[in-house]
Amino acid sequence: MALLQISEPGGEAAKPAHRLAVGIDLGTTNSLVAASCGGKVEILPDEQGRHLVPSVVHYGEDCAVQVGHEARARAAADPSNTIASVKRWLGKSQQEIKQSSQASRYQFDDARSETAPAIITAAGSRDPVQISADILAALRAQAETCLKGKLEGAVITVPAYFNDSQRQQTKDAAELAGIKVLRLLNEPTAAAVAYGLDTEDQGSVVVFDLGGGTFDVSLLSMKQGVFEVLATGGDTNLGGDDFDQAIYDWLQAEFATKATAITAQVELRAYAEQIKQQLSADEEVAIEWAAHSGKLDRERFRALVKPLVDKTILTCRRVLRDAGMEPDQIDSIVMVGGATRMPVIREAVAEFFGKQPLVSIDPDKAVAIGAGLQADVLIGNKSAGKFLLLDVNPLSLGIETMGELVEKIIPRNTTIPVAKAQEFTTFKDGQTAMSIHVVQGERELVSDCRSLARFELRGIPPMVAGAAKIRVTFQVDADGLLSVVAEELSTGKKSEIQIKPSYGLDADTIETMLQSSHEHAKEDMEIRAQREAQVEAQQIIDAINSARQSDGELLQAGESERIDAAIERLQQAMQGAGSVEIHEQTEKLNRLSADFAARRMDLHIKSLQGESINAIESADE
Amino acid sequence: MLSLEHNFFEIFDLPEAFDLDEKELGSRYHRLQSETHPDRFAGEEEEKKLQAVQLNSYLNEAYATLKSPLRRAGYLLQRRNIDPESVNQQDLDMELLMEQMQLRETLADLPKDESALPALDAMKVEAKRRIAEREAGFAEAFSADQLPRAKKIFHELQFIYKLLDETLQAEEQRLGY
Repeated sequence: MALLQISEPGGEAAKPAHRLAVGIDLGTTNSLVAASCGGKVEILPDEQGRHLVPSVVHYGEDCAVQVGHEARARAAADPSNTIASVKRWLGKSQQEIKQSSQASRYQFDDARSETAPAIITAAGSRDPVQISADILAALRAQAETCLKGKLEGAVITVPAYFNDSQRQQTKDAAELAGIKVLRLLNEPTAAAVAYGLDTEDQGSVVVFDLGGGTFDVSLLSMKQGVFEVLATGGDTNLGGDDFDQAIYDWLQAEFATKATAITAQVELRAYAEQIKQQLSADEEVAIEWAAHSGKLDRERFRALVKPLVDKTILTCRRVLRDAGMEPDQIDSIVMVGGATRMPVIREAVAEFFGKQPLVSIDPDKAVAIGAGLQADVLIGNKSAGKFLLLDVNPLSLGIETMGELVEKIIPRNTTIPVAKAQEFTTFKDGQTAMSIHVVQGERELVSDCRSLARFELRGIPPMVAGAAKIRVTFQVDADGLLSVVAEELSTGKKSEIQIKPSYGLDADTIETMLQSSHEHAKEDMEIRAQREAQVEAQQIIDAINSARQSDGELLQAGESERIDAAIERLQQAMQGAGSVEIHEQTEKLNRLSADFAARRMDLHIKSLQGESINAIESADE
Repeated sequence: MLSLEHNFFEIFDLPEAFDLDEKELGSRYHRLQSETHPDRFAGEEEEKKLQAVQLNSYLNEAYATLKSPLRRAGYLLQRRNIDPESVNQQDLDMELLMEQMQLRETLADLPKDESALPALDAMKVEAKRRIAEREAGFAEAFSADQLPRAKKIFHELQFIYKLLDETLQAEEQRLGY
């Protein structure tokens, strides 16, 4: 809560405090957090000075959660408890997740429903939102340590192509991690902001974002300080990982070997990634794997990944077409995502647009930097001026009509926020309820689109068929999240319904999860108090022991034994008792040794009195 | 100041007519955006944010309606209390209907590969020419307050735009999108 600032009359008004807000790029492979430090937005490093935090979580037996480098290091040894690329699972059903390439390593929790999948780890059952929240919580802790303060809000980036449930789950994860979301920002928009393209007078920008697991192309136009997303396209299941997979498959075929053990699979995949990265620098890479050796050159690699590269260019074509533009009308192309370091990608993009893409900002950092800039504006540290970001909804929203067909209510690439109302009527006499099914996608058949929500509108006054008028309003907010409100018009009777996507979490689930995270917070506090008590106790034991060594002659008969017994009791408490018990035993030891300490003090003061002032001064020096 | 009480033309302070200065519409839209976008209220209380979402949605709807010539024409008819969606047989030109059916058949009969691209391109050009012609006709009829004629042209435009849309989709299929 903000405190009132009181300043003395005539005195200088206190300058509003700099509020801490960060931009978070929650990536499939790596995550980053950026904040404004002294006017410039920078990536916040961890304690070892590293910028990229691998989006990997490891769950240990003792419920310990590790995120980042430490977690990634355990992937090979403990694959079933180490989760990578969880972003690919957001908003997905259990069946969809099981189809993903890394799914075979995990054991799914059968107690969970098809629409709320979770996997069983050493720390219990965890779903994609909780796993994402664990990554976000680690990023938050990293930012708070680095900035030495409490975070007030964050801009979190999402692929422009993310659908409603994926956005909702990202927001749920942030909430679970105790982060206030200022805005969900589309990644390409953030990247364009990082390149300062918002300062240009006007122009058209294509952002080509090939990350670890997702691919996005966005066409933005910049006019009078307003960034407008004209069209977006992409593939939520295409990324650098697929290029690794291509090398991985080739390695297996080339050496006629099959890594069967899960750990060997993980190691071979890591090796494939290493080869890919090396090919960005070198024309040819020598390969040594187990008893095999060979080489892979760029030309061979180009052939291996051609279908993937073609897919990316096809998406560029499609996006341009949606906006009614030609490749030569594009002023700049921004490259984002680690996978755009691959020369094979840069060449294809340059060829298609007929100009070299912008690569001066580290493609891994551009999105986070842009998000950090925007967070600084939204929290109110920096005046926005005329600068504004307008986003579009990436996929059409519609409802199911007769014959399982989709009627589009909000077409894709509509500027958000947007509200659209549609009127419905009853088709039977006396009908008092109707079912509304909201879907997202471009296809005509309901079964080809993603089901977002089904809800029943009840309490329609009984009338002849076609007399009731029900207006259903679809509202998409600036984050791209949908809510639906329905009201019956003919009688003036209102029945409003707010829905949540069926793949998102319902409010109760979030609350339960929040409560459990609070409970964990209590446990965490106790653990901390216990550690502090242990440290304090050890210091006292050490002090008493060293005093007994130097001034042992001051001890009275039996005193040393009593102190020994007290130390033993304390040491026992330190083994596992709570902070209260440790404090109690420490206090007992203190009292028992108080007389001994007093006698020592007396002795030392007496000895001081016998010395000259000069001697004391020189001893102090 | 932007208000939910204003009609779409009042929002942009533009005359209620079919012909409109698109550049002016764009720059006024951007100015209003920078005043009303929910991001401007990110730090404010929920109530204000919700209001901003509502008002800004209305602005986006107004802009999208006026920007599209077909939607603009429909909105103008609505403003004159004519339901653009209600279609009478008399409203339609039988000759146009026949022609549209024929064109649609031609479209369906085109080869399913790239060899259809030149034919599709020609159809696109022809559809655009017809659209330009009808739009000029609509502007004239509407400004002369000949509403039945304006409505008839509006329906013709709907047909031609739909055909254009289908032509574009057919082209996308051939291009492998």
